Amino acid sequence: MNDPNELSLAERRAFEALPRERPPRSELEDRVVVALQRRGLLPIPLARSAAGAPRRLTPWLVGALAASLALFVGGFAMGQYVGSRSGAAAALSGVQASRGDVAEVAAHAERAGVIYVAALTALSRLSDTADAPTRATARQAAITALGAAASEVAHLAPDDPLAAAVLRGLNEREQEQRPAPSTRSVVWF
Amino acid sequence: MKSGVAPDRSDEPDRELAVRVLAGDEPAFRRLYQRHTPRLFQLALRLVGGDTAEAEDVVQDTWIKAAEKLDTFRWESTFGTWLGAIGINVARETARRHGRRREVAWSDEVEPPPAAPLERLEPVDLERAIAALPDGYRTVLILHDVEGYTHEEIAAELGVAAGTTKSQLFWARRAVRALLAPEAKGQIS
Repeated sequence: MNDPNELSLAERRAFEALPRERPPRSELEDRVVVALQRRGLLPIPLARSAAGAPRRLTPWLVGALAASLALFVGGFAMGQYVGSRSGAAAALSGVQASRGDVAEVAAHAERAGVIYVAALTALSRLSDTADAPTRATARQAAITALGAAASEVAHLAPDDPLAAAVLRGLNEREQEQRPAPSTRSVVWF
Repeated sequence: MKSGVAPDRSDEPDRELAVRVLAGDEPAFRRLYQRHTPRLFQLALRLVGGDTAEAEDVVQDTWIKAAEKLDTFRWESTFGTWLGAIGINVARETARRHGRRREVAWSDEVEPPPAAPLERLEPVDLERAIAALPDGYRTVLILHDVEGYTHEEIAAELGVAAGTTKSQLFWARRAVRALLAPEAKGQIS
């Protein structure tokens, strides 16, 4: 061997014997897929079983979603119950002012949740007197809020099964309501 | 530790799978993932010095970047080569971010002692010695002696001169030999 820095035969064989492939933990695949979905690089799929076959949402979740949807009916009172825009702005400024204090922000989230449910309860009571377009508008606003909240929970805790199930349910609903397009389009972020 | 899934060996070309991924096809993405991740993970694991969690992060970030750039990939190289190149850069960014330095008798700035080529070497010992190298040495050694890159390819990948990679390979091989010399073997953690 002329160059002492060249690999010896034993060294070369040892390098060649090193494995070129090694499977990571199987959980990583789902983690990567979820990461892509959160970035809009893959669509959020319909609910699926572990084997990949479509399945229905668990009964309790269907019940919860159905109950929520029922509460959304009668949306004309939403604005009346929640209050004025200035009230919302004040609440928002309170949240922004508490940046950096996790406990305070969590308390805001809890209060907002109570108000959200109370508003939906009021909508339910008043739904009989609302016209269909108003009910639809209010229902959509409530669902949008539900989806945005679930999305934030998913950001906060990517492995949270409830947030994922809500997002899948909403995505399924959206796909069912969407008219069949001639070509499939994907939104890229 | 739960082991990952076996690599995908189906014969659907990468390019066709990529087209389907761009259309939002999750199963196509999973097939690409299963086909290429075992090699990517092994490469990442070596580049980060054997830290499994860090290697998983590298794999995830690599797939995210690949998905973001997939529509601009020109297919002038194989998909695996392209993915590996992204993985190398992600691993380097990760190392920079973590400011990681190996606990060895020398750093990138200190020359390893001269050592004769090894005439007997077990792959498992070689793997441990590679993991113990400083980041700069390790990257060049892996790319050249394990992955088979030329100095020009490494230089282009790392954004340095080919002379630099030759110099680093010289010191990296000397460092490995020094680490595996009978009197130093016990020092590798």
